[in-house]
Amino acid sequence: MIEPTANYYQRAIHSREELSGSYFILWIWDDVLGRICKAGQFFEIRPMSKLQNAFSTRAIPKLFKPISIYDNQGGRIGFMIKKVGSGTNALSTLKAGDTLELIGPAGNGFPLVNSRKILLVSGGIGYPPLWFLQKELINHNQIYWMHGGNTQADIFPSDESWTVDGSLGRRGLVTQGVEANISRLNIDLIYSCGPISMLAQIAGMAKRMGVEHYTSLEAYMACGIGVCHGCAVPIGTEAKWDYLRVCKEGPVFNAEEVRWEQF
Amino acid sequence: MGTVLNEYRKPHCAASNLLETALGRIKLKTPLTVASGTFDLENLEFYDPACLGAFVTKTITRHPKQGNPPPRLYETEAGLINSIGLQNPGLDSFVAERLPLYRAKLRMPLVVSFSGSTLEEFSEILAVLEGCEGIAGYEVNVSCPNVENEGIAFGVDPDTVYKLTNRLARATSRELCVKLSPNVSDIGAVAQAAESAGATSLALINTLWGMAIDPMTGKCRIQKGIGGYSGIGIKPVALALTYKAAQAVSIPIVAMGGIYDWKDAMEFFWAGASAIALGTAHFVNPLAAPELIMGLAEYLLQRDMPLSAIIGKCK
Repeated sequence: MIEPTANYYQRAIHSREELSGSYFILWIWDDVLGRICKAGQFFEIRPMSKLQNAFSTRAIPKLFKPISIYDNQGGRIGFMIKKVGSGTNALSTLKAGDTLELIGPAGNGFPLVNSRKILLVSGGIGYPPLWFLQKELINHNQIYWMHGGNTQADIFPSDESWTVDGSLGRRGLVTQGVEANISRLNIDLIYSCGPISMLAQIAGMAKRMGVEHYTSLEAYMACGIGVCHGCAVPIGTEAKWDYLRVCKEGPVFNAEEVRWEQF
Repeated sequence: MGTVLNEYRKPHCAASNLLETALGRIKLKTPLTVASGTFDLENLEFYDPACLGAFVTKTITRHPKQGNPPPRLYETEAGLINSIGLQNPGLDSFVAERLPLYRAKLRMPLVVSFSGSTLEEFSEILAVLEGCEGIAGYEVNVSCPNVENEGIAFGVDPDTVYKLTNRLARATSRELCVKLSPNVSDIGAVAQAAESAGATSLALINTLWGMAIDPMTGKCRIQKGIGGYSGIGIKPVALALTYKAAQAVSIPIVAMGGIYDWKDAMEFFWAGASAIALGTAHFVNPLAAPELIMGLAEYLLQRDMPLSAIIGKCK
């Protein structure tokens, strides 16, 4: 039994930051939360919603959306968000002073290490949790970060960028460069976050080359606190696996234990 | 940490005895319970548990169940489709690990929800639970739409409901609540079968069949195609079935299906429910339970009227 730690909060948005394309950051301030949030954890968040105002279907209260912690320093907590659907579109209407509802911090977070040669691989909106992670790791490890996206609007600071359309960095999928970098840099640990097909490919490479690999998975989610079992993913050995909850046992899993073939 | 913030989490709600109600053999301090599988101890971090009248567990089965392949969830225009498939650790693990935890943490009646794939399996589970202390009653889940040959296979036929309920009723003196499915042609007949077989209360409704498809690709949003539809969109259906069932039987009904706030709850009391449960509402409003009880208490206090005065009195 993992002791419950997630709680419910309402916090004012301190500021909002526009990024390229459809990306933006919402910042809140909370010293207490800042002290307990770990890299790789997430919050279920939503614009403050009150049923009393529900005169139109648009106002029917909707599910919270799981958004990973992008940054957390001195009580300043950031959520880097990409507009992809109705939930994130609703979040994109928020501005400084508006209220955010939050449930969290949720999930397990990345394991933190010392003296390792680390490769970070992110795809698209898989970038934010790795930003928080690299800040935690950078003083004690050697880090090389590869990031990929469809186009230049999906690219954020990293050591090596890839775009599908070639508009920035190397042309192609970020996975194309992973094996070469593992060899060249003597990588002994990989952290990844991004689309499931990307993560599965990296998991295959890491396994073949004998490199430890932790990956952060995403899932459609309702409760965010381990109650509803809606966000389950197949985890275990080939012979014996179970559906574990991304929100509780995850979102970070040892990639070798993820049953990619079951997705 | 759970106690640090926000006074609005402390509704001082259970103070009013106007809210008292009963579910067969269990007295409830408030008429608010939870829909099985949508609520657990984690939710109690969010507010004062005293707003709940009883705690209903996630449905357990004799053996561990892996559940259905993902995606298991899809949020529609008005409500949620799920296809969890009764994922649970099984009876033995429940008794060894979860039950002691519930007993240690809960200060309210505990109702254990269970399901089976044969009459014998239902009986076997009941026999084991009868040997455990700290259980006030059972919810017999014969209505889960997401598993084959289990649950709903029993709940759609009045004769089968009678046989099962009769068998269980003779084996326990605890509260025996049968949870009914809306996916039947005559809810009144099923409700009467349960009552005459010895059920002491009924819970309804479980989820409706529901489906969603990506219009651009034709891909089902839920891996198994069809799931169980819950939330605000099913409220009129749940209300009508509650009314029908209440007309057909005299045992108390705990009603659920699209209840989000206290006014929704009021409709169900007028229709004949003695208690109500929140399900999907927990996901869209973490404070739904204390807010509901505060609204309800205010309504009753203003009129100095007990809840029992409105149950089944719709005009």
